[in-house]
Amino acid sequence: MSPSPDPWVWFAGFLTLCIFSFLYKDNIFYQFAEHLFVGISAGYLIAITWHNQIYPNLVVPLFFEGRILYIIPLAFGLFYFARFIPRISFLVRIPIAFLLGWGSGVFIPAIFQRDILRQTQGTLLVQEAFEKWDTGLWAVVILIGVICTLIYFFFSRERKGIIKPMANLGIIFLMLGFGASFGYTVMSRISLLIGRMQFLLGDWLGIIQ
Amino acid sequence: MNIFELLTKIPRQIIFLVVGFAIAIPLIVPIGMPVNVMPKSKMLFQAIDTLGPDSKPVLISCDFDPQSMPELYPMLVSILRHCFARDVKVMLMALWPQGPGLVELALDEVPRNYGKEYGRDYTFLGYKFGVAAVLLGMGENIAGVFPVDYYGTPLDSITMMKRIQTYNDLSLAISLSTGDPGWRQWLLYAQSRYNASVGVGVTAVSAADVYPYVETGQVIGLLAGMKGASEYEIMVQNGGYSDAILRAAQGMDAQSLGHLLIMIFIVLGNIGYFVMRRKK
Repeated sequence: MSPSPDPWVWFAGFLTLCIFSFLYKDNIFYQFAEHLFVGISAGYLIAITWHNQIYPNLVVPLFFEGRILYIIPLAFGLFYFARFIPRISFLVRIPIAFLLGWGSGVFIPAIFQRDILRQTQGTLLVQEAFEKWDTGLWAVVILIGVICTLIYFFFSRERKGIIKPMANLGIIFLMLGFGASFGYTVMSRISLLIGRMQFLLGDWLGIIQ
Repeated sequence: MNIFELLTKIPRQIIFLVVGFAIAIPLIVPIGMPVNVMPKSKMLFQAIDTLGPDSKPVLISCDFDPQSMPELYPMLVSILRHCFARDVKVMLMALWPQGPGLVELALDEVPRNYGKEYGRDYTFLGYKFGVAAVLLGMGENIAGVFPVDYYGTPLDSITMMKRIQTYNDLSLAISLSTGDPGWRQWLLYAQSRYNASVGVGVTAVSAADVYPYVETGQVIGLLAGMKGASEYEIMVQNGGYSDAILRAAQGMDAQSLGHLLIMIFIVLGNIGYFVMRRKK
């Protein structure tokens, strides 16, 4: 393979090196790439939000199809800009109140279902879990882990008697969880570097396929 | 300065340089370390492998940006290859504004290799802001949320969309997710409220958070980071669905060496720290 003939690939390669140069120290090349990224991101976000959201979901129904009820979300959206005019800045409270009320109503039952009911069910020792010895063992470990971790966060009684060793066991489970998360974080960051290396060595320089 | 003091004060530029070489060298000269397929990845593969031409479509939500491409883009490409090879129809969408560009990149690459046609075999709905309204609205009427596809074509004039109205008309929804909005919201709204089958592909940094939901069956399968992507690539290749270059699997040697190096740095740093502390 040979280096890419595409000038945009060369520009992307140059920008990647600009960002990598920060690993040595802050410099003008890094700042150039960073500011370019921020500017392009902002412009891209505005354009895609207009074309994908505002135009098909608001402008078309309201102004081209004559669906007059769409004036309500338009007004709610415009109320956000009332903050810039002190005399009518109170109007911003209307869409915020609507969003808070609607959001809480939708969010609370759903999160209760997702994180509390189903997760509690998942902790229970049901007969199916013991059909194989390993799944049964892990079900018991999960149950002990959940109980001990909850006891660690139980602050209403002094840590003595049976509560003390259980809370200590809870700390071990917590540390194992943190360790797993940190391991996955390292894996993720290394993956990002691999992705850039694949671009530099493959797409740009053509050293690898 | 003795050797132990030196271990605690290695300049960060040296560490970056060594890590850079440890990643670059195995990419140029592959070692060929084996990649074992984990059960959670296999669960997602099997969920798609049981589908066929008469099955309901699969929805893939690209909830990520170019920053997460090394981990999530190979998942997108492999899942598309798998679906198209099995003649399963695919709907794509994005909850992240940068998602559409990545979807178009994959659609430029994959469908033509399988002779698939836009509108008949796959559709791209585009990006929408406001995750709760989008996912709840799709549970009632997908065309209400996406009146037109990404290219401005009305949804009711797209052949494959004529029989698709809600999550009930989908085999499963897969969120390829790098954060919020992403898999959490798919579980919160589509799975918990509408009982949709949800599969998840995430960056490795989020993987530990998804595990409890796989255990309870709320998530039907999980691809975790570049490793998960490489596992899916290998399953697709072993299934005879594709013979393309395995982008994620190519990076696994570098991943393993990178991890080894980080572990060595952690051990060396700790040795230096404890010896210096004892001396004080």
